[in-house]
Amino acid sequence: MNLVRAELRRLLTTPLWKWGPAAALLSGGGLTALCVLIGPEHFDPPMPGVATDAGARLVLSMIGLTVLVPALFGALAVTSEYRHGTIAYTFLFAPRRHRVLAAKLAAYALAGAVYGTLVALAAAAGLYGTAALKGVEVGIGAGTAAGLLTGLAAAMAAYTVIGVGVGALLRNQTATLLVLGAYLYMVEHVLAIIPGFSLAYPFLPGGATAALTESSLMSAAAVEVTGRATALLPPLLGAAVLLAYALAAAAAAVLAPMRRDVA
Amino acid sequence: MHPPHRLEIRGLTKRFGPVAAVTDATFAVEPGRVTGFLGPNGSGKTTTLRMLLGLVRPDAGDARIGGRAYRDLPDPARTVGAALEAKGLHPARTGRDHLRVYAAFIGCPDSRIDEVLALTGIADAAHRRAGGYSTGMRQRLNLATALLGDPPVLVLDEPTNGLDPAGIAWLRGLLRDLAAEGRTVLVASHVLSEAERLVDDVAVMHRGRIAATGPLADFTRQGALEDAFLDLTGATA
Repeated sequence: MNLVRAELRRLLTTPLWKWGPAAALLSGGGLTALCVLIGPEHFDPPMPGVATDAGARLVLSMIGLTVLVPALFGALAVTSEYRHGTIAYTFLFAPRRHRVLAAKLAAYALAGAVYGTLVALAAAAGLYGTAALKGVEVGIGAGTAAGLLTGLAAAMAAYTVIGVGVGALLRNQTATLLVLGAYLYMVEHVLAIIPGFSLAYPFLPGGATAALTESSLMSAAAVEVTGRATALLPPLLGAAVLLAYALAAAAAAVLAPMRRDVA
Repeated sequence: MHPPHRLEIRGLTKRFGPVAAVTDATFAVEPGRVTGFLGPNGSGKTTTLRMLLGLVRPDAGDARIGGRAYRDLPDPARTVGAALEAKGLHPARTGRDHLRVYAAFIGCPDSRIDEVLALTGIADAAHRRAGGYSTGMRQRLNLATALLGDPPVLVLDEPTNGLDPAGIAWLRGLLRDLAAEGRTVLVASHVLSEAERLVDDVAVMHRGRIAATGPLADFTRQGALEDAFLDLTGATA
């Protein structure tokens, strides 16, 4: 418990966290409001409008594109310990290193959940507020929307943990940011050109995140272009896959520093 | 007050790839005395201290603090206070917040933070971000961090780096007082003129090996500590 408190203090005593609420408003509220304002029917290729079930899901699924934000936040927090050399003092105060990493994971899962909640609240305001302004009826019920947004909020916490795990594994700040950015914004999309990839996609982090909203820009675009839907896992299974990635990242974070020398 | 803790370094050996950083280092550090761990830059002092503190895993040998390895100490940060080189500070965190983070690890109250800030003479700078600190202030903040748990053992790596003459005199007084209280004080340094006025015992490291150990008087019988040191390390003045 002392260790978790120490990690929360560590988080709140540098200015990094202050970007969190702003990023949450922008990637939750701003993005959703923008999508509703433009209207998916005006996307290129055109998509179902917000008044339809598919269109409303699509708008919320766009938030899934911003998971890089919590992932980078978790990664930045861990790697800055190595960058500034504070990790040596941290391990002096808690030589059982796995306990330090477990405390970090707990602290950042909590921070990620708070971030995710802010994103979800901002997205709900963006979706219903902008739809009301435009005089459009949202194509999903409030209960469905709340379920989808809860899933997305949990996804933000999961990606924060994934960021912590990758950061603890790689330690180098620049390398970690590059790996996460390249994977989330490039690799999954480039893999799509490999035949048979659509079979693997539902089990990748991006596909699992899309399963939470049963929609993604990529799969919706695929439907419009090819007329075939990319298969996604059912939402609960998608959540389980995402949780598995977060647990794998957490395990890596806890095991990685056990025997390493600290310079 | 504190039960005395003797440090025992036994056969510590560490290679980094082709470099034999430390080879079969053996010496003891007694409570109630200041021990100077002396050697040229790159002689393996820091690696030895990091093995003592459990940060670097030795290839062979072990190091004991009051009979236990560092990671097996029941209350490590209340047993050993360590100040490593003037790194280990996040530039955007204030001095006080830095101490608050580490105070949380050992659950010590905010009043202890004020005490160590006053003791190390940086209370006036505590509200400022560490990124703006001079090397000497970073040294003092690291020393304050080491003292948080009021530990019976102090391990300091080059603590006088970046301190001005008044700061060095102050540090000398502080370390002498701490040793007089029965604490074990181990100070790694390559600055012999300072060491000569501070330490009771000496361990000299050269090229990763312990070249000599003993009371300071043994080294200064023939003249200055510097002459004995240069003899031992094979350098010519």
